[in-house]
Amino acid sequence: MPDATFEQDAALFAPIERTGRAFYWTVGALLLLILWGAIAYWVQFDEGLGVTGLHQPVSWGFYVTNFVFFIGISHAGTLISAILRLSKAEWRRPITRMAEVITVMVLFIGAAQILVDLGRPDRMLNIIRYGRYQSPLLWDATSISAYLTASTLYLYLPLIPDVAILRDRPGKRRLLYTVLALGWRGTERQREVLNRAIAIMAVLVIPIAVSVHTVVSFVFSMTIQPMWHSTIFGPYFVAGAIFSGIAAIIVAMAIIRRVYHLQDYLKPIHFRYLGHLLLVMTLLWFYLTFAEYLTGFYGNEPEEMKVFWSKFTGPFWPFFWGMVLFNLVVPLACLVRLGRHAVGRTVTASVSVVIGMWLERFNIVVPTLSNPRLPFPEGQYWPTWIEGAETAGSFALFILFYVLFVKLFPIISIWEIREGRETGLKEVEERLLSYLPGRSAPAPPGVGGREGHERAPIRL
Amino acid sequence: MALWGMVIDLDRCTGCQACVMACKAENNVPAVGAREASRGRTISWMQVLTEETEERLRFLPRPCLQCDDPPCTKVCPVYATYRNPEGIVAQVYARCIGCRFCMAACPYNAKYFNWYRYQKEAPGQNPDVSVRTKGVVEKCTFCHHRLQKARERAGVEKRELGPGEYVTACAEACPARAIVFGDLSDPRSEVARLARSPRAFRLLEELGTKPKVVYLAERESDGRA
Amino acid sequence: MSELQSVSDRTVRAIQWGMGGAIVLFIGGIVIWILHLIRTAWRLTDVPSASIGISLVAIPVFLILLAVVLYVFWGLLGDRSAR
Repeated sequence: MPDATFEQDAALFAPIERTGRAFYWTVGALLLLILWGAIAYWVQFDEGLGVTGLHQPVSWGFYVTNFVFFIGISHAGTLISAILRLSKAEWRRPITRMAEVITVMVLFIGAAQILVDLGRPDRMLNIIRYGRYQSPLLWDATSISAYLTASTLYLYLPLIPDVAILRDRPGKRRLLYTVLALGWRGTERQREVLNRAIAIMAVLVIPIAVSVHTVVSFVFSMTIQPMWHSTIFGPYFVAGAIFSGIAAIIVAMAIIRRVYHLQDYLKPIHFRYLGHLLLVMTLLWFYLTFAEYLTGFYGNEPEEMKVFWSKFTGPFWPFFWGMVLFNLVVPLACLVRLGRHAVGRTVTASVSVVIGMWLERFNIVVPTLSNPRLPFPEGQYWPTWIEGAETAGSFALFILFYVLFVKLFPIISIWEIREGRETGLKEVEERLLSYLPGRSAPAPPGVGGREGHERAPIRL
Repeated sequence: MALWGMVIDLDRCTGCQACVMACKAENNVPAVGAREASRGRTISWMQVLTEETEERLRFLPRPCLQCDDPPCTKVCPVYATYRNPEGIVAQVYARCIGCRFCMAACPYNAKYFNWYRYQKEAPGQNPDVSVRTKGVVEKCTFCHHRLQKARERAGVEKRELGPGEYVTACAEACPARAIVFGDLSDPRSEVARLARSPRAFRLLEELGTKPKVVYLAERESDGRA
Repeated sequence: MSELQSVSDRTVRAIQWGMGGAIVLFIGGIVIWILHLIRTAWRLTDVPSASIGISLVAIPVFLILLAVVLYVFWGLLGDRSAR
């Protein structure tokens, strides 16, 4: 029984119900890239890690950089979804699911990078059978498992009412939607249960997310290598992760907006607000980077300064100054005055930040290893096609997972948009009035008495 | 309980690398080939580094320093490297998953990785030492197999292990007798005596790794680097 | 195009039970794994304090996640008023 609201959000159902040729071309291209990556990995699995550019002393390179980078991107979902939900920011409504999907998909890819990096991947079960909790890698394993579980749950719970909408529409995949909808009918009790569960998850997922990238940073800071053994690493990595996460969301938003014609839902105001957040994170990232390097420079410890200068003026200067350009100069130039070009400028800044943050991870991993303390015969690290193909394949795999999700589920949360239309306005008005003098607090949410499950809002 | 350690007298070392060759032969350390060597993948459990300051050039034979507080064992995720009660930092090839965390953590770069399968089992190798597969980390073990053999012999003959019965290949081979090996916990052993010398210093001592390879500087006043 | 209920209720229920069971096994497995790691560290006289410290945080977190999942399953599927 279509009604006015169905028509109104037809664009949100379109990606699920219609599959154009562009979809098949895209999937085909992605599969080719993934195949290239898989072939590269097969060569590596067969012959050994010698097919990469790694050597003594640079025994960690692209793969570990990718690992830190992808896990960093995974902070996208947490920030937008959880923090904005908790702070009742109304503008989050079309963005939350997109962000949550990024988190879940990219965590798989990030974890896979470490497995690709292993010299004996056939023994990866040793981590489970003989794991040592004293090792930061085990902290990683635990933390990332917790985050993966939590963020999958946090993606699934708000998905349930949307899956129920899909279940009740005529269309394909009835079994999938019926199973996943868990019998959702929008009753009072079900709404209460879901509310509470989402609220608990929103609170729980934030410290888990903070722990994830902190623990990833501990892989480096728990060694005694120059410019790794730094107390700032925990907060630095988390800030960098949130930074790259916001940039990733903006890029995803821009692509989805264009490809699926969702300009009505993803408006310049959303890009503007995220752009402001991105600007704040740019400055925060710069502040932490500045503190880190100034401390090293002022202390003038010889081992640290060797690494320092190799980044500033030595062999790594293109990567270092490239990082500064992409992470600071370009975002500042774009984001300080958005004017009427909110979408264009934030997207430019975001693409720049994604590149810059990858360079930042590279700058952390490789220069320290390239400058050993003892007079070791050194060499310059040059990645081979294997590492390039693996990186490209990983990106392609992530995008493929994302595209498949968009094909199966609404990428913009339909029930949350409807809730925003129907009750959001009044709720915000009441809240605003309660801040002003002379008014009492607004009525508590969740007042019952509405019929029909699609119209009934879920309040948080 | 013994505490195995080594003293290397830098005043005697001529940089001839007999220790390197003896170690390679004794421990089946693979020759990686010229191409791999040019890519920086030489495996050399005992490696002679050259340290140059304004005043002098110095050869630094560097085995695994067998630290008493090893940064490498702290970070291994699978118990593939650990410090045994006699002070030797062991490396378990069958357990190693090749994550190379220990390599990233070692400040002396004493750990090496098998980037390819550099050798198969073949005649002419030392049968007491396992041949490593690709993808695992390896390092100097103070010729631990020699300790096991000496202990077995002593056990069969129902006596204690005598001094000088267990000595590493590098110490045995050095023509200048620059490398002295023995039990640091035995105050009468030559190693313990030399380790107390005023010329003694430890590499990167300030890092707190407590290495058990002690170097003797060329002159008394030249305590460190 | 109106569709009759082409999916049997029992199949759906079975799969949902399966999902619930899988999640219990998964999170339960992780908890057991963490305990196994503590036991290994203890037996090898490695530093068990790291294991115990981490498990004091990690195990409750996983158990809360399991509790939330089961709560949602029970709250949504068990709601007879919807039927």
